[in-house]
Amino acid sequence: MPHSEHIVSSFDRDLEGIQAQIMRMGGLVEEAIAKATEALEARDPELARAVRDGDKAIDALDERVNDEAARIIAQRQPIARDLRTVLTVFRVSNNLERIGDYAKNIAKRTETIIDQPPVNGTAASLRRMARQVELMLKDVLDAYIQRDAGLAMDVRMRDRDVDQMYSALFREYLTFMLEDPRNITTCMHLHFMAKNIERMGDHVTSIAEQVIYLVTGDLPEDERPKEDSTPHDAGVGR
Amino acid sequence: MNDMRMTERGVDSKNIKMKARKVQVFYGTNHAIKDVDVDIEDKTVTAFIGPSGCGKSTFLRCLNRMNDTIDICRVEGEITLDGEDIYDRKVDPVQLRAKVGMVFQKPNPFPKSIYDNVAYGPRIHGLARGKAELDEIVEKSLRRAAIWNEVKDRLDAPGTGLSGGQQQRLCIARAIATGPEVLLMDEPCSALDPIATAQVEELIDELRERFSVVIVTHSMQQAARVSQKTAFFHLGNLVEYGETSKIFTNPDDPRTESYITGRIG
Repeated sequence: MPHSEHIVSSFDRDLEGIQAQIMRMGGLVEEAIAKATEALEARDPELARAVRDGDKAIDALDERVNDEAARIIAQRQPIARDLRTVLTVFRVSNNLERIGDYAKNIAKRTETIIDQPPVNGTAASLRRMARQVELMLKDVLDAYIQRDAGLAMDVRMRDRDVDQMYSALFREYLTFMLEDPRNITTCMHLHFMAKNIERMGDHVTSIAEQVIYLVTGDLPEDERPKEDSTPHDAGVGR
Repeated sequence: MNDMRMTERGVDSKNIKMKARKVQVFYGTNHAIKDVDVDIEDKTVTAFIGPSGCGKSTFLRCLNRMNDTIDICRVEGEITLDGEDIYDRKVDPVQLRAKVGMVFQKPNPFPKSIYDNVAYGPRIHGLARGKAELDEIVEKSLRRAAIWNEVKDRLDAPGTGLSGGQQQRLCIARAIATGPEVLLMDEPCSALDPIATAQVEELIDELRERFSVVIVTHSMQQAARVSQKTAFFHLGNLVEYGETSKIFTNPDDPRTESYITGRIG
């Protein structure tokens, strides 16, 4: 019964349509994350360029989802599970759009630092961190499709790992900059990229919370685990 | 926290105005209401929703003994108003209906003047000691029903000459003229246009300051808009009863969810 169909079948088509857009968006965003960090590691300006251009498609989808969601609210007055579906779609779309922006930002910075000498091994660490976020995003979209609150909860907990990676990278960049001031420009850019990926993780976490709301009707009440300790013990001035 | 209408007046009182326990209704051999327990809170709008034939109107009519007029209808169980059993032999149904008023689906003004429509109840119950007092009751009732300004210059005109929305508000004025404590409304807006519906809904919200309103409606949006408590009936059973904000965002029973979201249950 929980997934039985509406008497008005066009309502079902509306809801399916808007959710299909979210999945398309999710696919594009996953790809953008992977390609942005691949471009960085391979120092490939064309790939970086492609990521920047690709963001337009994500933005356009976000706009369409927002328009559609508004139309469904006006036309169908969804309630209960249907209302949660529309609200969730609306917010998840915004989260995905922001993740797309961060990927674009990484691509932009990649183009800027491509002529600077590389700083040892840092691109690979960034890529590992991005890979973690990408997997979280994939899982959270699966959780959305399967209406699996447990999996969403698991994704939400995994953001802690991303925060830890960010803290580690922060210290690493700081060390490189202290060692040799010529690294500062590159490391500043790399640090912003790391921060971008950390923010992506936050948006994935927010999507996970939306999935939990969609399935259970309640947002998780416990405090989200936080492991980013950079402002306190990053070793500044030590 | 879960109340989606935080800006609205809260439910003023948790006093139980009417209480139903193990209520059964039979029409001949047809078991129309099965074991219904429900508490109607004072100064609260309670909505009864459910598919046609689910028993919501039947149950509503039990609350002021309207079913007494149907020969084959038998009511069992207990229904109390302020702790008193309304089906007790000492209770006069006519007196009961002055306390528990009713407004019907189709506006049904008497074929009398607007004034006499409203004055009828206070007259037969002897609520006014003279013409002046009766005038006052009529004016106050018409004002509370938000129709005074539209009819004050033609109180002698027939009530049947008003528009549908005005007739319905006249019927509400008639129902509140006897000073009821509970007002039962059986789909009061189903024959009205959206403007008249909005006027009646605004009125319901105002009436809530004084008494309990129990409304049967087929419009989910209306139930969500006007009520604080919602009861969902299905096949003669009370399936779910709770805060309106909860029922319409996250109901507990899958049958409730299927019904309110328009799915085949």
